[in-house]
Amino acid sequence: MSKTRKKAQSYLTRRTAFDYIDMVVLSLFGVMILLPVLQVVAKAFSGEGPVIAGLVTFWPIGFQTDTIGYVVKKGEFLKAFQTSVIATVAGTTLSMFLTVTSAYPLSKPTLVGRKFILYVFVFIMLFHAGMVPNYLLFRSLGLTNTIWALIFSGAFSVFNMFIVKNYFEALPESVEEAARIDGASNIRTLVSVILPMSMPVVATVTLYYAVGFWNNYMAGVLYITKADLKPLQQYLYDLVRQALDTTDAAGNIKDIDSTMNLTGESVRAATIVVSTVPILIVYPFLQKYFVKGMTIGSVKG
Amino acid sequence: MANTKKVSAGRKKLLYVRKNYDLYLLLVPTLVFIAIFNLVPLWGLQIAFRDYKLMAGGTPWRSIWASKWVGLNIISKVFGKSEFTRALRNTLVISAMKIVFTFPLPIVFAIFLNEVRSNGFQKGLQLIVYLPHFLSWVVVSGLFVSLLNSMGPVNKLITSLGGAKIRFLMDNSWFRTILIVSEAWKEIGWSSIIYFAAIAGLDMECYEAAIVDGASRFQKMWYITLPGLLPTVVLMLIIRMGNIMDAGFSQIFAMYNPTVYESADIIGTYVYRLGLGKLDFSTGTAVGVFNSIIGLVLVLLSNVFAKRATGKSIW
Repeated sequence: MSKTRKKAQSYLTRRTAFDYIDMVVLSLFGVMILLPVLQVVAKAFSGEGPVIAGLVTFWPIGFQTDTIGYVVKKGEFLKAFQTSVIATVAGTTLSMFLTVTSAYPLSKPTLVGRKFILYVFVFIMLFHAGMVPNYLLFRSLGLTNTIWALIFSGAFSVFNMFIVKNYFEALPESVEEAARIDGASNIRTLVSVILPMSMPVVATVTLYYAVGFWNNYMAGVLYITKADLKPLQQYLYDLVRQALDTTDAAGNIKDIDSTMNLTGESVRAATIVVSTVPILIVYPFLQKYFVKGMTIGSVKG
Repeated sequence: MANTKKVSAGRKKLLYVRKNYDLYLLLVPTLVFIAIFNLVPLWGLQIAFRDYKLMAGGTPWRSIWASKWVGLNIISKVFGKSEFTRALRNTLVISAMKIVFTFPLPIVFAIFLNEVRSNGFQKGLQLIVYLPHFLSWVVVSGLFVSLLNSMGPVNKLITSLGGAKIRFLMDNSWFRTILIVSEAWKEIGWSSIIYFAAIAGLDMECYEAAIVDGASRFQKMWYITLPGLLPTVVLMLIIRMGNIMDAGFSQIFAMYNPTVYESADIIGTYVYRLGLGKLDFSTGTAVGVFNSIIGLVLVLLSNVFAKRATGKSIW
């Protein structure tokens, strides 16, 4: 046995040609993932001239930070950034409140009416009324052109609720019983016993919601028309659409390329870079939490 | 006898509710929230059966009841529209292409990443390939517009090789390919997590036995890793097929333009242009309802298949 183990050991540590080829191919794949990003970063930091002349590929030419400076000082950008921060913070807070308060009762197998409520949740996860009824409702409730439109759309995800519920269900029963014997109410138990034990899943789901709010551009497109209330992604959407707009005022089709090479190109690249920075900053530190959610979530609900 | 038993079961439930009333209290905010934002809009689906006029009532919502009931008139007209057939065809074609071309990639990636024996290399690569998942489709659209325009790096490469410039984003024969490539770029890494985790859960003994028997690396991948992954692959494929009616609305909405409606206008984008562009709310709702119902049936079917194939329910 020890001999075979040793053989297996040496097999596992020895590097063969296969290992090197595998690593080279995978590295190339990694580079392909990075190139589209690098290319826009390069444009954002290149001089206007080289960008318009189409000289910039993956490395800045005539390095400068003026374009970035111009973008972050622009009033519209600052306003949009601010709106996105508010919507993300408020939206994520509301989302987490709804998610935790509904996941906890539903994690109790003895809850009377649990099955029915779960059916309702699964149903709303699978069947959506769609854009038009939602739009008319938001308009009638006076939510269009308010920050609430951005907060309420996407504030509750059944999928995320299931992740949290599964996590609660997997916690050891004994802890809760101890709290119960001490006479703690359910809400008390949730706040002082269950939540402190659930920080990993709370972190993961908070991040999911936060990224969801930050990246949501449809809520803005559907519900916001006021210029000073547009979230960052909608502001960016308008910029990118300018490049994709293939009809002129008269409705004639024009070439994307003709709109592409205006000076807007540099500004567009810089705006993309700046609006992605918040995600890039938190991403490396929080990556493990993001990944954790995928594996917790794959447990059956 | 039977009667008293029934009463006591009912009383037990009542006692449970009374004792644990705070659990129900906790549920109230969410139930109110989904009642307003998920269930009330369902009531508005009757717009599809009415000749909806925005200004017919006091608010857009009250206008629904003030508008004339026309039965199946609108829905039956939808099926005759060539734009609808085009949107339906595009939805199915784009979804099918995405399944065929992008679905297998994360599996292959996970298997080959698992073979790497350097932990640092694995971690570093994962950090890179998961990243695009966290970019919004607007950002990704911006990246690809910049990459593929006539002065972009891709066209530069083509012309330096002696080819003619391609207008990728305005060409019906290219646009679907761009959709698939950008989706693959964004999601391969992220989708591989589930397979990577599944491989990590496989029995090491099998590998050790195979090594002792002198199996090559490819033999191990082919005869142990791949079969071990099969249940996960089947489950993911079934889920993916159940979602075939969603061809990627947020992606296409951020990338398409009138020159490529022919190849890329899907049901979601068509509904948007009908309802919120042309303000034809009734037709927009009718098309949307059609999509939602077919989608729901497919997802439910896929759950039945998933249960049968793997013993697991999707939710």
